[in-house]
Amino acid sequence: MTEAQAFVTLATTDAYCMGCIVVGKSLRRHGTSKKLVVMVSPNVSRVGRLALDDVFDEVVVVDVLDSRDKAHLTWLGRPELGVTFTKLHCWTLTHFSKCVFLDADTLVLCNVDELFEYEELSAAPDPGWPDCFNSGVFVFRPSLNTHTQILEHAAQHGSFDGGDQGVLNTFFSDWAVKDIRKHLPFVYNLTASAVYTHLPAFQQYGHHAKIVHFLGGIKPWHHSYNPQAASESSFRDSSKNFAAQFMHLWWAEYYSQNQQQVKKDDKKEDYSVQQLESSQTHPTPTQSQMSRTEALHREMRLASPLQDLTLDSLTISSSKTSEEMLSDRLSCPSREIKSVQQLDSSQTHPTPTQSQMSSTEALHREMRLASPLQDLTLDSLTISSSKTSEEMLSDRLSCPSREIKNILFEVLSGGETEETPIVSPPSEQETEHKDPETADDSAAGIGKAIAAETEEEDSERRRMWEQGHVDYMGKDSFDNIKRKLDLFLE
Amino acid sequence: MPLARSLSVTSLSGLEDWDEEFDREDAILFEIAWEVSNKVGGIYTVIQTKARLTCEEWGENYFLVGPYMESNVRTQVELIEPCNAALRRTIDKMNSSGCKVYFGRWLIEGSPYVILLDVGFTAWSLDRWKSELWEKCGIGVPWFDREANDAVLFGFLTAWLLGEYAAQCDDPPHIVAHFHEWLSGLGLVLCRQRQLPIATIFTTHATLLGRYLCAGSVDFYNNLAEFNVDKEAGDRQIYHRYCLERAAARCTHVFTTVSQITAIEAEHLLKRKPDFVTPNGLNVKKFSAMHEFQNLHAQSKARIQEFVRGHFYGHLDFNLDKTVFLFIAGRYEFSNKGADIFLEALARLNYLLRVNHSEVTVIAFFIMPARTNNFNVETLKGQAVRKQLWDTAQTVKERFGKKLYESLLVGQLPDVSKMLDKEDFTIMKRAIFATQRQCLPPVCTHNMLEDSSDPILNCIRRIGLFNTSQDRVKVIFHPEFLSSTSPLLPMDYEEFVRGCHLGVFPSYYEPWGYTPAECTVMGIPSISTNLSGFGCFMEEHIADPSAYGIYILDRRYRGVDESCNQLTSFLFQFCQQSRRQRIIQRNRTERLSDLLDWRYLGRYYISARHMALAKAFPDTFIYEPQEPTSATGFRYPRPASVPPSPAHSLHSSPHHSEGEDEEEQYDEDLEAEKDRVNIRQPLNVPNRNKNNAVVLPEKN
Repeated sequence: MTEAQAFVTLATTDAYCMGCIVVGKSLRRHGTSKKLVVMVSPNVSRVGRLALDDVFDEVVVVDVLDSRDKAHLTWLGRPELGVTFTKLHCWTLTHFSKCVFLDADTLVLCNVDELFEYEELSAAPDPGWPDCFNSGVFVFRPSLNTHTQILEHAAQHGSFDGGDQGVLNTFFSDWAVKDIRKHLPFVYNLTASAVYTHLPAFQQYGHHAKIVHFLGGIKPWHHSYNPQAASESSFRDSSKNFAAQFMHLWWAEYYSQNQQQVKKDDKKEDYSVQQLESSQTHPTPTQSQMSRTEALHREMRLASPLQDLTLDSLTISSSKTSEEMLSDRLSCPSREIKSVQQLDSSQTHPTPTQSQMSSTEALHREMRLASPLQDLTLDSLTISSSKTSEEMLSDRLSCPSREIKNILFEVLSGGETEETPIVSPPSEQETEHKDPETADDSAAGIGKAIAAETEEEDSERRRMWEQGHVDYMGKDSFDNIKRKLDLFLE
Repeated sequence: MPLARSLSVTSLSGLEDWDEEFDREDAILFEIAWEVSNKVGGIYTVIQTKARLTCEEWGENYFLVGPYMESNVRTQVELIEPCNAALRRTIDKMNSSGCKVYFGRWLIEGSPYVILLDVGFTAWSLDRWKSELWEKCGIGVPWFDREANDAVLFGFLTAWLLGEYAAQCDDPPHIVAHFHEWLSGLGLVLCRQRQLPIATIFTTHATLLGRYLCAGSVDFYNNLAEFNVDKEAGDRQIYHRYCLERAAARCTHVFTTVSQITAIEAEHLLKRKPDFVTPNGLNVKKFSAMHEFQNLHAQSKARIQEFVRGHFYGHLDFNLDKTVFLFIAGRYEFSNKGADIFLEALARLNYLLRVNHSEVTVIAFFIMPARTNNFNVETLKGQAVRKQLWDTAQTVKERFGKKLYESLLVGQLPDVSKMLDKEDFTIMKRAIFATQRQCLPPVCTHNMLEDSSDPILNCIRRIGLFNTSQDRVKVIFHPEFLSSTSPLLPMDYEEFVRGCHLGVFPSYYEPWGYTPAECTVMGIPSISTNLSGFGCFMEEHIADPSAYGIYILDRRYRGVDESCNQLTSFLFQFCQQSRRQRIIQRNRTERLSDLLDWRYLGRYYISARHMALAKAFPDTFIYEPQEPTSATGFRYPRPASVPPSPAHSLHSSPHHSEGEDEEEQYDEDLEAEKDRVNIRQPLNVPNRNKNNAVVLPEKN
């Protein structure tokens, strides 16, 4: 019976994949007994799908049913809503008897399996118009019959807001009045946006929140995340800014990288590495989880750190033999990636091509190559450290972008590390804190540090552009851009 | 900057041959703009009017590239199959890789081919493309700037299209890609970055930063060289857009702007001196009858007079035949469009006319759309009252006519004293009483939403132009676009312009200025400034512009007060002209329309394309810029008879006969003939696809 029930979510772009991952992880973290299903539209990249595949039991590719009702959509000013019509396809998941739909921009805060006790169609009221339900969280029974009816209904009546919520609300038009048991408590679909209007009520009931919904055009993944600042300002001073607090939770979940599975990784490691070395086929989900999520993450942010990787490994190769081996291995794939990417971009194929696939494979392999060595360094160098090696490992895995760098630090410096919080990525401050120690040891350490800085800086700079905070009087001045342009202007 | 002519290797030097003859056999022209079949602003007009000429020149090898907007396509574009095989392969390939590319004919004059790219459909690629943009150019785009994100998508799609097309052609043709404005500029940067075999041209119609700086009431032109452009753009939150624009200007083979003044602006703000100035033209409508435009002026003027009769009911103490209609029109940018100094000059003119006991009345119309709550009651009532008077007159006339008829039927001459009886007088008296008015004629025709903060109204309040009977200058502010269906002033913009006497456009920031150009081709004199593209262009081509009804205000080298005085003197001069002088002046103005026709101005575009081809494919094309001096060869001379300025016409009495004064002698035909010699003949394009240009064959 429980087998036939599932949580369903939907990713229509690579950005929304980030959201889905968080939905999936937060459900898993709170120990759900239900299946997890994610629907993806065909345009979601392979990297994105692979990353989802790790968290979810089923990844269902759905053909985009674009509502094309442009007049409505422009009226809303959010044309990206059109694709949420894909959502209606959830009624075709008939191998489940009952499902709970969660939007990709939700975050589950505790176990919500009790939602399956509700009937179709149960949903929480929309904060903007409480006689309508918000279609971000709802309980439904998959049925091809219902699906056709809804589609026909949509074709005939359109959608009053241009999105799925309009369709569903007119289809289940008696929701507001007929049966109060189908009204989900508001705590199952709490609006996280800053302008929550009834503040006293929020202070009274807000801590009961079970599912948070990041409504509106600005999603958590649009914000950059600085864990240091977040933990200092909003987390401790939590009475002030709920939205920021939820945002922090979201990012914490995103970066958490499933500690549970990490432990499994430990045991399986030898096996999976072998398998991956021998065949380039589909890797086991648990093993390459980090690298895939990371690959997605990089894709979202920026691909350029890879270049820096090469630089890293080259500078280090001059010092020690054991490192040389590592750096050789590292530099090859990363160069490969670089060239492949260039090729890819010059052809400008939007669909994931062969080359792209190989680039992700290469990335995976690179990560995997790093991991056995990591164990080595851990064993030999950090015995004196107070932590167990398992903790250390999970630490390291929680931030794969720095992973290789950190290992190298340890090789050079003798592996003195501080304890880092499990769910947050290491901040710049921490890295800087380590730098002086390493720099004393060898000249290579300095090169390493500079390289690391540029990598970080580059993605950070792009993030600042994305937010409209450009260093136009400094690094981003047009003279620098011009220099870049002149590279291809002869 | 020289408005340089181009000469191919084969053609002889000399004024008569513009080089239209360079080998275009295997060349393809793409023109890329966000406003192709998508009206947002003025670039739409440029492309739409230019299309006919370019089609005649390039025929089947001319393609416009724009964004796909469903509503526009439904009304303006006929979708058809791609016309050549390489293009069909290109489009099929793109459509099968997750794009939506449409091909059709744009249903405007010349019916050019259009390729429309669905930007929204490829929105899912945005992140990847932005990463590429960051990697290759170091430019990022904020996620919240919708327009800039569209520009990224559009840029990558056009670069893809062009690259794919070049790859699909077996024997690669010489491709020219002409990009308009920053919104399409990224496509150009990417073409260059990918080293595609394409000659590129980038045209800015204004610079982003210039527009922002001027709107912020900065002393723009005096500080042009001193601006720290990066900082100014960054402070105004348009740094990413500015970077895209400047990157395009940096990367292009040939960089052009629409006017000398924008060229200077671009040189300082985009740090590249334009290679060409490519002025904007119009499609000039030629009437078969010689002075048709004068007749149209009379007709339209009569309709404006009707409106004025209603608007000023109860205060019609001025002679409508001695009333001069001025107007200013355009976007509501109070100081950029020069409404501020126009109002100030009107106040001074009012004073001058009063102290000189002039009989002339001036009515100044402000046609600038603002936020309103529809017409105000008083204005509507004015038109109703006028109509009522008209009806009363008709009724009385009817009755009068009937009595007259009856009297004649019985063979008697009518007794005039009995023709109007008591009842008639009652009707007429009642009608006259209805025209009594307690208030002054309204300044504004609409109920303004922001009445108390409206800059024009506040300025009028300050200078006190309230349409009193002593005022010789009356003001009417019509804060809505004109429409032929309006109950108030049922005329469209063109009719209205034809009915006015003078257009006044003392803009501070005006990259080109279609409004004075439109006036000119309709034979209506206008005032523009040497800060507007139009003013610069006219100043350069005409020896004595004001004789031709082109008054050019100096706002560049003079202070505001001085400019204001100059404007006042222009207006005062104009008011003192006799009717005959105005007619002569309109004739001269209208003759300038050849100068603004695309057939004449299109040649700058031709030169730009040739130069781009020569830069991109130096083995095939050679371009030799001409000496700057040759550009002076087509200046309009001082008109044969003396300009109709009051300084020379001492006798302004209407009874003054024509033959008496030699200075007043005017032979229209002679003068026109001289002007015709001085302007080059409209371009005769070697029309390669005559049949296609006329008939639209269905190619499927």
